[in-house]
Amino acid sequence: MYYKFSGFTQKLTGAWASDAYNPQGLRPVVSTEAPPIIFATPTKLTSSYPAYDYAGKNKVPELQKFFQKPDGLPVHLKRGLPDQMLYRTTMALTLGGTIYCLIALYKAAQPRNKKTTCTFPCSWKTSDVGTWEH
Amino acid sequence: MNHQTHAFHMVNPSPWPLTGALSALLITSGLTMWFHFNSMTLMLLGLLACIMTMYQWWRDIVREGTYQGHHTPTVQKGLRYGMVLFIISEVFFFAGFFWAFYHSSLAPTPELGGYWPPAGINPLNPTEVPLLNTAILLASGVSITWAHHSLMEGHRKHVIQSLLTTIILGIYFTLLQASEYFEAPFTISDGIYGSTFFVATGFHGLHVIIGSTFLTVCLIRQLLFHFTSKHHFGFEAAAWYWHFVDVVWLFLYVSIYWWGS
Repeated sequence: MYYKFSGFTQKLTGAWASDAYNPQGLRPVVSTEAPPIIFATPTKLTSSYPAYDYAGKNKVPELQKFFQKPDGLPVHLKRGLPDQMLYRTTMALTLGGTIYCLIALYKAAQPRNKKTTCTFPCSWKTSDVGTWEH
Repeated sequence: MNHQTHAFHMVNPSPWPLTGALSALLITSGLTMWFHFNSMTLMLLGLLACIMTMYQWWRDIVREGTYQGHHTPTVQKGLRYGMVLFIISEVFFFAGFFWAFYHSSLAPTPELGGYWPPAGINPLNPTEVPLLNTAILLASGVSITWAHHSLMEGHRKHVIQSLLTTIILGIYFTLLQASEYFEAPFTISDGIYGSTFFVATGFHGLHVIIGSTFLTVCLIRQLLFHFTSKHHFGFEAAAWYWHFVDVVWLFLYVSIYWWGS
């Protein structure tokens, strides 16, 4: 007959041999080493590994080397020409749009019709909202 | 050689906060131009600038984290705090619309007939498409959990399959909601019922679209081998956001579709 200590009743209670040979108080030693990082696919040499079915091979290591080049470029321009074109387009649209916005708001703030000098209460049919022409 | 002796990320100077802020100006003033002067140019310009800013800003974050290794555990902790705080702010955003709904529906005015749903409103049957939509989002919550566990265990194919399933369910939900919007016997201008219904469900639908887009980006990144079994915060952020969207729907379903019908 084997026994174990029941934490619930605080008494000894019957147990199987498995509990005696794997005592409840002992826990397996936890490894303190960092577990190996598992990439989704094993990182082998491309020459020994057939092309994976989903979207080709893992290009991340090459990209890591590329983006860590100490060329002094900020991250948003690191790729060179394509980054520059996209940045310039974005900035042009934004700054151009801001100027357009300020002009539009300036024009919108001008009184458009002679009839808008109404005294309160004014009837809606004499003044209308300005129309915007291009 | 310059080496940092701390775990934080000192970001390169970036133009995206400026272009993002200016695009917000263009969108808002563009709305004014659209409403009052019948011109969509400014608004479309603003939307384009906004989308380009978002693309480049998040592209840069992927470069900084995945390619340049700046996302140390300390930095990742900050990103986690950031995402949590953002989702909390979204909770408060929706809380406002729920407040409006309960304010109007708990004490219906005499103009509405003194009862809810108001006089003349035929609400949607909650046991039809809305119930299907509930099942769809709950299932998508299961599939995204499956994706996360597959990712942590290194099962590449399963991650792709389950993430795809989640995205397809999200798109299915969106299509069903769109068809419900077309078929509904009431509109947004049908009094307070229409306003609360379409504003609350409409913003929810927008968040489903945002969440599905975020998940699609995660799928692309997974296909490009960006995620490891131990480090995949972008995916976790998308999963948190998706669960939030699901929970908001459950509140919408119970409050507006079910109790409110």
